[in-house]
Amino acid sequence: MKAALRLALALVLLGLLYWLYTVLFPSPEKAVLKRIASLAATATIPAGTNPLLRANKVGTVIAYFSPDAEITYDLVGVGAHTLSGRDEIREAAAGGFAGATSLSVRFQDVTVRLGPDKLSAEVSCTAKVSANGDQDTGIQEMRFQLRKLDGDWLITRAETVKTLQ
Amino acid sequence: MTTETNTSGAEPGWLQIVLIGRRPKWTLIRILVLVSLVTVTTKFVLLPIRVEGISMEPTYRNHKIDCVNRLAYMLHEPQRGDVVAIRYSEPGQFSEPKQLLMKRIIGLPGESVAFHEGHVYINGRLLDEPYLAKSSCDWEHAPIQCGPDQYYVVGDNRTMPFEYHVQGRAERNRIIGKVLL
Repeated sequence: MKAALRLALALVLLGLLYWLYTVLFPSPEKAVLKRIASLAATATIPAGTNPLLRANKVGTVIAYFSPDAEITYDLVGVGAHTLSGRDEIREAAAGGFAGATSLSVRFQDVTVRLGPDKLSAEVSCTAKVSANGDQDTGIQEMRFQLRKLDGDWLITRAETVKTLQ
Repeated sequence: MTTETNTSGAEPGWLQIVLIGRRPKWTLIRILVLVSLVTVTTKFVLLPIRVEGISMEPTYRNHKIDCVNRLAYMLHEPQRGDVVAIRYSEPGQFSEPKQLLMKRIIGLPGESVAFHEGHVYINGRLLDEPYLAKSSCDWEHAPIQCGPDQYYVVGDNRTMPFEYHVQGRAERNRIIGKVLL
């Protein structure tokens, strides 16, 4: 009985150590997942956020993109557009943030595929964006390409994907 | 006649009976079985969904609760007229996606789908759609050819302008099941 208890305790301890290791040294997949979740949280603006904080948010969101990043989107009722470089993305983000009283961004059903060099990754997900409460909600399949630059996972390309051809 | 009171096998109090039953061990086993059954059913058999949006009106109203039968197409392929759930995210996992598209199949693999004066034409023949509400629809679109693994899907709300209505060809591996009700 004592031996079984010791064995159980040893297993629990091993499990805890493993968990601690994954927290301290996350795998590249986990780091990318965390980065994408963090981008959604950063792009979310609760109602009543003051303009200064909104402006600050733009800068924080831009930091997720590489200097030569490109965003390509083709949306129903909007058409196809491409934003190239941080300046164009900053301008678009500032316009989007200013135009909504609140904004909720969520990336769901996220799958990460790491490149063979483990320094690049492709992320597929479904973006759910709600503006002004739940009045305007859009759901869109998306694909991101990320690259590890100076220890940070940065988005080099983001594009909308047509679920229906 | 005498009555003996057995203190060791005392009847549990009403609160215990209500909360964990007369035999807690069996109650725990019942709960575990029930939770497992519900988890497996809602994950792999009947996926609960909530309709968001108006593209399937009047058949499916906004915020309606329904279920997707994930086993519907295990024995046969999707049929014309079926209302199906289509995953946004990339196929490959059997786990439940959080966001789905709900649309009706009007075109089958290999068929061509066209819209003329609001009516659907499959391979040039008018399609009877009894599920549609009588409303004015002026959709016009040249024939679109479905590939060998593609189904043409569209919503029931044809009062929306064509360009604002999400519709098109869905790959078979994105159709995860048939909407139950």
